[in-house]
Amino acid sequence: MQDLISSYKKNLLLSILLTFFVLLFLYGIFATNNYFTWFNFKTIIRDAALYGIMAIGLTFVTLSGNFFLLSIKETAAICCVSFAMGMSTGYGVESWVGSFPISLLVTLLIGCLAGAAQGLFIGLGGNPIVVTLGGAGILYGIATWWTDNLVISFRRPNDAEWLGTGSFLGLPTITWSFILIAILAEFVLRYTNFGRKVYLVGSNRAAGKATGHENLSMAIIVCTICSALCAFVAVAFAAQMSSAQANYFSAEFGSSGDMTILVIATVMVGGNSIMGGYGNTIRTSIGAIFIAMIDNMMVLNGLNSGPRIVGVGLMIVFSILVFALYAKGSRAQE
Amino acid sequence: MQNSFISKIKQKFISNPDLTFAFFLAITVYSYFGFSVEVFASHNLTFAILERFAVLGLIGLALTICIIAGEIDLSIGSNAALCAVIVVKLTDPIGAPLAIVIGLFISTGIGFIQGFFIAYLRVRAIVLTVGTLMLLRGISLVVAEEKTVMLTDFRVPDFITTKFFMYFSPASIMVIFVFILVGIFMRFTKYGREIYAIGGARKESLAAGVPIKRPMIIAFALSGFCAGFAGAVIGLKSGTAQGLGLQYLLLAGTVAAFVGGVSILGGKGGIIGAAVGALTVNFLNTGLLFYALQVHFVQLFTSVLLVVVIVFQTMSRIFDQYQTRKAFLESVDQRRKNLIAKRDNSLQKS
Repeated sequence: MQDLISSYKKNLLLSILLTFFVLLFLYGIFATNNYFTWFNFKTIIRDAALYGIMAIGLTFVTLSGNFFLLSIKETAAICCVSFAMGMSTGYGVESWVGSFPISLLVTLLIGCLAGAAQGLFIGLGGNPIVVTLGGAGILYGIATWWTDNLVISFRRPNDAEWLGTGSFLGLPTITWSFILIAILAEFVLRYTNFGRKVYLVGSNRAAGKATGHENLSMAIIVCTICSALCAFVAVAFAAQMSSAQANYFSAEFGSSGDMTILVIATVMVGGNSIMGGYGNTIRTSIGAIFIAMIDNMMVLNGLNSGPRIVGVGLMIVFSILVFALYAKGSRAQE
Repeated sequence: MQNSFISKIKQKFISNPDLTFAFFLAITVYSYFGFSVEVFASHNLTFAILERFAVLGLIGLALTICIIAGEIDLSIGSNAALCAVIVVKLTDPIGAPLAIVIGLFISTGIGFIQGFFIAYLRVRAIVLTVGTLMLLRGISLVVAEEKTVMLTDFRVPDFITTKFFMYFSPASIMVIFVFILVGIFMRFTKYGREIYAIGGARKESLAAGVPIKRPMIIAFALSGFCAGFAGAVIGLKSGTAQGLGLQYLLLAGTVAAFVGGVSILGGKGGIIGAAVGALTVNFLNTGLLFYALQVHFVQLFTSVLLVVVIVFQTMSRIFDQYQTRKAFLESVDQRRKNLIAKRDNSLQKS
């Protein structure tokens, strides 16, 4: 607490800005109609769950020092399309039509393969941004090629409904999975051998290499985790819509322009160090809920998509500036 | 005289495998389409390719400069979109030239501010520009009032597409001019060399007294200028602009820069490479038009090109490491042999 107050005094400009934002936020909560209701709270959590799960996957990548993947929405697109194809055509096998487990397995497999391939290139020394920029184009191209850019829909009473629109104890299934995945990921990062290795490789790559934890295997594993979680979100989304198209996750997804950037924003706003080695999934989850809250507030106030994107963009830039100012002199600015 | 010139060029190609690979790729792509599509190697198509080069070359140039400085500017598509929206919106009330000047001023200013924050706060550019990517996109949406902005009189921008000298238009002439200027700047001035220095070896150059702020700001301001220029050309040519458009430029520009032989570690590559890379991507895009494919196929093939280049660069780096290690081990062997021989000699003497 003492440290907090002293650092608050040191960065006067920053603290004024921070206080201003907090006041604005509190004002928004009380001035917006219908904001403080249980129903709205459920909506917020549900929104947050969709990109929160992806962001938890991305947190692994970020923590291991591989910056972020720019292919998130494309991985989701191909998985979404693949799931819908499985549900509606069964990949050409008659008895597989409408079979939820097989569609889910194939989709997860595709997601893992996409992640592992990108992770391989990253681990071999490619820059994550450039590799995934290329990977994104290829994945999106394949997804549209596969479906001829059509909407693939499947019939309403199906096995996947419990995942898309079902609810349990008053909360939607996707929200429950968000909570479970967050707890599981935090447990893995904190208490397992693998989780500690992620932090080690992320915070000091040279030390990691010297102790035998190369980035090659680490990059493959974390990219696979991230892509698998993207695949899971895509499946949930396709199940919710009972249909899929390659550009479901592209421009103007939800409100904030672009799924990939939104997920990256979630990781950043939560306060994880983009350089790796510092952060956890609880921060990411809080970031997701925070973005969803702000976005929801702006929607309730009747703002268009332009100001909403500006709002989220300002949040990202602001959080970058704040963490850069606080981290001045530490290794994060390497 | 002639001979020495050729051998000089040969030497240059051998010493720079990335540039050689860029030329190889460009020639391969061009000759593939030249042989398979009848009209590909014609005057009109060369004009069309140069017209596209006016846009993509600039984006490739912008990213090349940033990557040479060891950073990458992800907000380039949004910056171009913002400039396009501003230029198209202002052309009606105040005329095209003034609108272009204002748009370029704003884009360059945005690049300048980004460079300043990156240098001052010492954050990585990818981190900051991913934020400004979204921020600028939102701002251009707000400026465009969420609509597609359109010119009322489509004859106004005709002056940038008039054809002269068979191949050129004012836009492509300007871009070639910019290329030459930036090439001279990067190669022969102190400020340009500083950009190479902070990209290639940042700690060493800081220790040697190179300021980090000035080259970083110059690199990003140049990149903002190029992005704005490209946005203005696109906006005026099509007469329309969207706040959410032009995001494909990032992929295309990155591919152009990487085909041109920049290294993501910074400090490598040049303007000739950027031009060759942009031309390669243009050949590919223009050639694919003749197969009447859907838009996403162009994206797919561009990405494949990027992956090919990445694989080449990674392999050559691994090969280099292998060679260095081999040379090192050989030298160790040699030294050991020498020592043994020395010991034997001294034993024989005694």
